[in-house]
Amino acid sequence: MLAQQILNGVALGFIYILVSVGLTMVYGVLKLLHFAHGVIYMVGAFAAMIAITYLHLPFALAILFAMAAAALAGVAVERIAYRPLRGAHPIATLISGVGVAIFLENLFQVIFTSDTQAFPETGVEVSVIQLTESVTFTNVKLFIILAGLIGLGLLYAFLKCTRMGIAIQAAAQDMRAASLMGVNVNRVVSVTFMIGSALAAAAGVLVAWNFNALFPTMGAIPGLKAFCVVVLGGLGSIPGTIAGGLILGIVESLSDGFMTGMVVDKDAIAFVILILILLVRPSGLFGKHVEKV
Amino acid sequence: MLDMQGITKRFGGLTAVDNVSLKVRQGEIVGLIGPNGAGKTTFFNILTGIYKPDAGMIAFEGREIQGLRPFRIARCGIARTFQNIRLLKEETVLDNVKVGMFHKTGTGLWASILGLRSARYEERMVTEESLRMLETVGLAGCEYEQAGNLSYGNQRRVEIARALVSQPKLLLLDEPTAGMNAEEVQEMTDLIRRISEQGTTVILIEHNVSMVVGLCDRIAVLDHGVKIADDVPEAVVSHPAVIEAYIGKEEGEEVASGAAH
Amino acid sequence: MDDLFNPYYVDIVVFWMIYLLLGLGLNLITGYAGQVSLGHAAFYGIGAYTSVILSVKYGWNAWLSMAAAVVVTFLISALFGLPSLRVREDFLAITTLGLGLIAQSFFKNADITGGAYGIDSIPAPSLFGTPLKNTGYLLLVTVVLIVAVVIMKKMTGSRIGRAWMTIREDETVAQSMGINTTYYKVLVFAIGGAYAGAAGALFAHKVSFISGESFGFTVSATVLSMVVLGGLSSIFGTFFGVTLLYMLPEMFRLFEFELVDPKYLDTYKMMLYGILMVLIMRYRPKGLFGKNGTKLVNIRRSAVKTLDKGGDRVA
Repeated sequence: MLAQQILNGVALGFIYILVSVGLTMVYGVLKLLHFAHGVIYMVGAFAAMIAITYLHLPFALAILFAMAAAALAGVAVERIAYRPLRGAHPIATLISGVGVAIFLENLFQVIFTSDTQAFPETGVEVSVIQLTESVTFTNVKLFIILAGLIGLGLLYAFLKCTRMGIAIQAAAQDMRAASLMGVNVNRVVSVTFMIGSALAAAAGVLVAWNFNALFPTMGAIPGLKAFCVVVLGGLGSIPGTIAGGLILGIVESLSDGFMTGMVVDKDAIAFVILILILLVRPSGLFGKHVEKV
Repeated sequence: MLDMQGITKRFGGLTAVDNVSLKVRQGEIVGLIGPNGAGKTTFFNILTGIYKPDAGMIAFEGREIQGLRPFRIARCGIARTFQNIRLLKEETVLDNVKVGMFHKTGTGLWASILGLRSARYEERMVTEESLRMLETVGLAGCEYEQAGNLSYGNQRRVEIARALVSQPKLLLLDEPTAGMNAEEVQEMTDLIRRISEQGTTVILIEHNVSMVVGLCDRIAVLDHGVKIADDVPEAVVSHPAVIEAYIGKEEGEEVASGAAH
Repeated sequence: MDDLFNPYYVDIVVFWMIYLLLGLGLNLITGYAGQVSLGHAAFYGIGAYTSVILSVKYGWNAWLSMAAAVVVTFLISALFGLPSLRVREDFLAITTLGLGLIAQSFFKNADITGGAYGIDSIPAPSLFGTPLKNTGYLLLVTVVLIVAVVIMKKMTGSRIGRAWMTIREDETVAQSMGINTTYYKVLVFAIGGAYAGAAGALFAHKVSFISGESFGFTVSATVLSMVVLGGLSSIFGTFFGVTLLYMLPEMFRLFEFELVDPKYLDTYKMMLYGILMVLIMRYRPKGLFGKNGTKLVNIRRSAVKTLDKGGDRVA
């Protein structure tokens, strides 16, 4: 039972990681709380659905299609809602982001209705893997973990080995200095949004597939929880985000399995943990402690 | 009146202030000089409670104040200005100065909501005091301008007025003449002297050595967080450690000539 | 007296005023004292549920329960303000957001709040034996609103308002001026929360049925948008922002546009909110009536200029 819950938690954790890495990178580069990220996750799931149902693409291509579509959407959101406001007060950008999120969520409700629809046939048989007598695992969850590991691996290689990756890291350390050193800040920002959105879209597709359900507001809760993960990991730290995502996934999964009849539901637990941790460590688990001056 | 013993503050591996002691007597003007990064502003931040010292003791008028929260220290009668002028830039000059009166007033929530007479009286008193203080620092006529629109020199004056309006016993000035021309420096020097004559003890951080030498009763020199000299101006500027370790060759001459004036 | 006005219009005005109360409270916290809050709906909900639980489950007189709701929200909001003492500005946004979600989750799951079923048959307060329904309720809400505005004007014009303003602009300066920042931050959350608590109590006794759905993130985000659109730290701005965002969708309803499918009315309303939020932040980032021109424009402006120039260059 315990091993089962932990295993489920790890799979869930990888979903959180995929969603949160984008937020972390955006925060690292722009010091911006990207409130429309959850919507991008939803856009990804819908794009995959369109790819399979209307374009008749195979599942693997549909995922790539969804990632590309979400990357475009992410860049568009940045162009429309954030770039014109760059340098404005955080509250202004935050509201602009919330505005885009609300708009897109409702636009999708108009187009696709607000009802939950089933995820189309992927051609991949969902099967149960019997690990031990009591521990089972679906291949979907295995795919989630694999996708998470591949995503993180590619991201790591990209950040370490490409010029653009290094430029992103430089911009995250000191945007101004990076721009003075000849880094094209706008391009860095666009690429950051692209990568983050693509990863979130992958998570969206996998979740929609796993639960066989997608709906226009599906991104709201994961988007908010991703903030939890990011803050837990100390805003802007990718290793912190990975740890934060796994912790949240496992804790949620454990609470789901072992505690019933609580006064708050599973979705709120993320925030309970977050607030408790912030009260003890105001800069998050892995954030550098900065004296408030 | 102020007795600081063995103050030490570390940031990670860096010891910003290392075992510094300083005594200030009632009515003195003490200069605190040293190269950039010597720990002068950190020293002020420790004294005003923004940083907690890792070691050491601070007694103000016989009461230990190290580790107290900044607003408590302010209430003891220690007021300060900031190196990088920190005014409420979008508020009027008058409102900025009124902020300085905060801990001298005591109107509570209910009194202000109900508009009690005591609240109104206090508000009038605050306004009058603030206006008077603006006149003292030479800013009569700009009371209702936005603080951020004033010239650099005048913004420093607003900061001083804000610090002085609560009639502090000890005034800490962090580079009051930074970015000023010679004439403004002279005006500032006169202002500080007037403040001192009215009984306020002053500690100032300065880079303008000739001004400090002319104005201060005593000068302490910090270098890499260590106090390397603490004496009357004439003695400090001829102190070999000061010239050698801190001021450097060319500027040493300037100091010597400053001392001669 | 209750039949004086068309109840439909009375409802519109009452809910508009309730949003005004919410907006004023949030403006105190975020506008005047500079503490970002994304969990304002929690205070609204706590006010509503407190009054409802006391009046429905414990049989308190509605007047008494409403007053108690304000007091209880005041106290709980003070607790909600505690994280603001520890965490940075951007963390505070997430923390308050989290507190809001936790509160909503509590409303939806706890026994005392009726869980997913909510609580119904909430009594209306009565005056001289007649329950206040339409016009009477309108009067009550109007009185509360006027008192709230007067109190807000007095507070913000006093030394307390000055303390909040200083905390908003520069906490270190505030401390150095002898302002107990802890006390004043907690105080502003408590008072701003109490405003929302009053709004919640008034809402509950008007609609006579509440459930957790009414106190979610959408409400927090909507109220924040209203306040920011109108302009932070301006009472008039809040009036304007709330009126604009609240009344625009009502226009749809009133004029029954042909092309709008009534089924999707709320959806179109939210789309409109979204567009407005983006556009106004883009062209008037300080809000339409922000008292202080540069408030929402940046402190880091000079840094950003260099940055934008850098952006034009090819890497």
